[in-house]
Amino acid sequence: MKWRFGLRSKLLLLSSFLFTIPWFGYQYVWEMEKYLRYGQEQTIIGTARALATAMHERANLFNNQASFLPSVEKGKDLYSYGLSAPIQLDGLNQDWPDFANKAHFYQQKNQLYSQLTPEQLSINFTAAVGTYGKYLYLYFAVIDDKVIYRDVNARSITNNDHLELAFINPKGVFSRFIISNKTTGWIDAYRITDIKDDIPVPARQIQGHWRHTPQGYNVEVRVPLTEFNDNIAFAVHDVDSPLGVIEASLGSADPSSAETLGTILVPSPEIERIVKGMSYTNSSIWVVDQHHRVLATTGNIKKASGVWNKRVNLNNERIDNANENFILATWHTLENTILKPLYEKILTQPPSNFIDQLYDSENLTGKHIESALAGEPMSQWRLSTDQQAVVLSAAYPIFIDEHVKGAVIVEETTNGIRTLRNQALEKLFSSILAIMLIGALAFFLFASRISNRIRTLSNQAEMAIDEHGRINGNVDTSNTNDEIGDLSRSFSTAVNRLGQYNHYLENMSSRLSHELRTPIAVVRTSLETLAMQQQLKEQENTASNLQKQPQKPAIENPYLIRAQQGVERLSLILTNMNESTRIEEMLHNTEKNLFDLGQVLNGCIQGYRLIYPKMYFDFNDISTEQYQVMGSPEHIAQLLDKVIANAVEFSNDEKVSVNVVQNHNFVTLTISNNGDLLPEQMSEQLFDSMVSIRQKHNNEQPHLGLGLYIARLICQFHSGTIKAINNKALQGVDVIIKLPLVK
Amino acid sequence: MSKRIAIVEDDAAIRENYADVLRLQGYQVQTYANKNSAMEAFNLRLPNLAILDIGLEHEYDAGFELCQWLRSKSTTLPVIFLTARDSDVDTVSGLRIGADDYLTKDISLPHLSARIAALFRRQDALGKPQQADHMLTIGPLTVDSQRMTIQWQSQHVELTITEFWMLYALAKHPGHVKNRSQLMQDSKIYVDDSTITSHIKRIRKKFTYIDSDFNCIETVYGMGYRWNQNQVETAGS
Repeated sequence: MKWRFGLRSKLLLLSSFLFTIPWFGYQYVWEMEKYLRYGQEQTIIGTARALATAMHERANLFNNQASFLPSVEKGKDLYSYGLSAPIQLDGLNQDWPDFANKAHFYQQKNQLYSQLTPEQLSINFTAAVGTYGKYLYLYFAVIDDKVIYRDVNARSITNNDHLELAFINPKGVFSRFIISNKTTGWIDAYRITDIKDDIPVPARQIQGHWRHTPQGYNVEVRVPLTEFNDNIAFAVHDVDSPLGVIEASLGSADPSSAETLGTILVPSPEIERIVKGMSYTNSSIWVVDQHHRVLATTGNIKKASGVWNKRVNLNNERIDNANENFILATWHTLENTILKPLYEKILTQPPSNFIDQLYDSENLTGKHIESALAGEPMSQWRLSTDQQAVVLSAAYPIFIDEHVKGAVIVEETTNGIRTLRNQALEKLFSSILAIMLIGALAFFLFASRISNRIRTLSNQAEMAIDEHGRINGNVDTSNTNDEIGDLSRSFSTAVNRLGQYNHYLENMSSRLSHELRTPIAVVRTSLETLAMQQQLKEQENTASNLQKQPQKPAIENPYLIRAQQGVERLSLILTNMNESTRIEEMLHNTEKNLFDLGQVLNGCIQGYRLIYPKMYFDFNDISTEQYQVMGSPEHIAQLLDKVIANAVEFSNDEKVSVNVVQNHNFVTLTISNNGDLLPEQMSEQLFDSMVSIRQKHNNEQPHLGLGLYIARLICQFHSGTIKAINNKALQGVDVIIKLPLVK
Repeated sequence: MSKRIAIVEDDAAIRENYADVLRLQGYQVQTYANKNSAMEAFNLRLPNLAILDIGLEHEYDAGFELCQWLRSKSTTLPVIFLTARDSDVDTVSGLRIGADDYLTKDISLPHLSARIAALFRRQDALGKPQQADHMLTIGPLTVDSQRMTIQWQSQHVELTITEFWMLYALAKHPGHVKNRSQLMQDSKIYVDDSTITSHIKRIRKKFTYIDSDFNCIETVYGMGYRWNQNQVETAGS
């Protein structure tokens, strides 16, 4: 069947506008997310501001953090990383987290006292500083072509490769220490300031390990934090011959005097304490000084999903209602098994494990920090370094004496919002999916029903009137009180009216004949009376003139005779006109009986041979009791009369052949003659009332074209069909009568 | 004493034509245009024969009512319907109500007067003793052509004039096939073929009402009908 754009498809297309609803919902959720982000931004700025407020004008928090320096010099001004795990003093750096990034490489540039050329310098080292607990850990990996240990008997501690550390303790006392080992192993540290007789005093507070390496040596040292405040310097002195003099010194700063020391920034416990109070905000918080160096930090960005996360988690907990009904339970199962995995594929889930290494923990960079350090609070969105998560950062300046001394940076991921958004979208999608499914189904059913009703109606309308324009049946009146119902009722009314009109037309002939009968009777009786009177007169005349003209026959009035003939013919026409109606009526009242068609046919053909002696009937008597037909034999005979009469009349060679064929449950009679061919498309109309194609066969008998109409009526009464076709050789006309047999 | 005939007919031309012709033949004719005037007159005195039209003026079935009313007054009064209505339903109901004949208006005047004469003859003959030469007996069938009565197995079969003529035509020559036009001629009516068929059927029905095994009227398909006495005998034996 050719696809056509039917009502159903149209309605489906229209209902596809439903699909814009999820789009709008999606847009709405996006909007919502935007506002949530905005809200989060405000919250995070608020958090940053609150924290900054707690630190405004508290100079002592920053004074001892070397933040007062106008500038910091890398390598000289040290930053002590907070170490996450205790360090084993073994001269190995495996337990230093991320050593490569945190260490600083000291080389030619960092020479102290004398400046040797790179060719002369035979030493360089890498140093890292870290804090863990109450200790400052230092790690040196020295590369030296000749490692000279202190001679076993040497008193001097400086005529060999050695390390020098210098601090100013919180009381302002300047101390220098020398680590000078006789062998690889635990270090020997000596204090060389504030000593009597210039004899170095072993410094037990400095502990560590000196390890010999193929390139040189490693030294790992720890110093109690109480030993220094924020000034520190260290230096590696290189001696290249036993008991030789110092040939080169490399260090962070000159350790010889208090003034030349560099600074060290140790994460401030006070600030840390303040910040820790804010660590319950689900944010990752940093406090930096004006040199971008981290003073304190708390929280983990991976867990900092913002304030929304709490709400989200609250909503996440489904109220497990044990007695939820079946539909809900089914829906939830469906949701969990099909929809959730689908959503997880479609929607970007907030990453639970992402990597963010934008900041090294020493120096924080970023526009927002620079802006904050310039005095302008700022927030920004950025992606985490692995592009997995969106991080919201807000920086707020800390003012001391109207100078920016640092900044608070608060960071959160948008994971909370994203989770919230995803949940909203999931709910939205689920409900919209449900609505759309139900809606589409409802639409489809509705459309199907409507189109079915219309199709039924159209079929009924089509069936009501057959190809000849006859009314076959009625259109069922629908009780539905809508437009289609109205249409059905209109159709029904129209078909009824048409049927009535048709009926009126079909009864026209009988009506007409009925109406004409009285005036004809008037004419007829008048004529007859006239004729009788004339006859009487003539009889009198004859009686009186009997003597004069005894042999003269009565002269009839020719006009009277012609008038009587005309009336006679009119009367015949009326009778013919009536015949079809009469047949219909009679068929209506006729009971159907089982009869033998063979008997009827044989008898009839015998009769026709008598009636039409000139015609040759090509027919062999068929066996009786083979064709049992339910109906009325008299009418079948009448049908044959009509058809044979027709065939005889049209035959050119005075030969009519009758053929009987049985196939399945039907018997087919074919009555053929070699008469004129039927005009195109007349074969069906031929059987309609008042249709005649006689032209040259005009004779005295009036023809109203009722014969074949009656034939068709009789065929219909027997549930059979009749048709006339030009035979295959186009040499005549076959009338084919098909009647159902009773087995 | 000449017979009195009443014509109830609303069409003046026809009524007068009929009346004139019948008067010419020596009958006393009274004409009425509607049911009420006819009833008034009939209340005073019944005619010897009534010719009724069915539709009278505004009343569609006045003729039927009149016929019923007349039948209630007299069971023997011959009543003829002479009408333009020729449908089977009308014919059957007219005859059922008690009319002796049902004629359509295209009947010719001589034919009508013959019918009237026949009816009077039957009425007269009923009162007279039976004469054997008018009797035709074929098996259980006895036809009295004088009285125009039929007896089957000594039981009276009520037939109308038309039916009587048809049966008489068949029975007069048993075994001969009478085609429809012959039957029409013999029964002196001119109708179409299907009317003949329905008349035959009605006759058969009237016989089978008395004798359920009746099958003497045989249809010879395509030709006509014949009275077949042998068949009933073989069927009976």
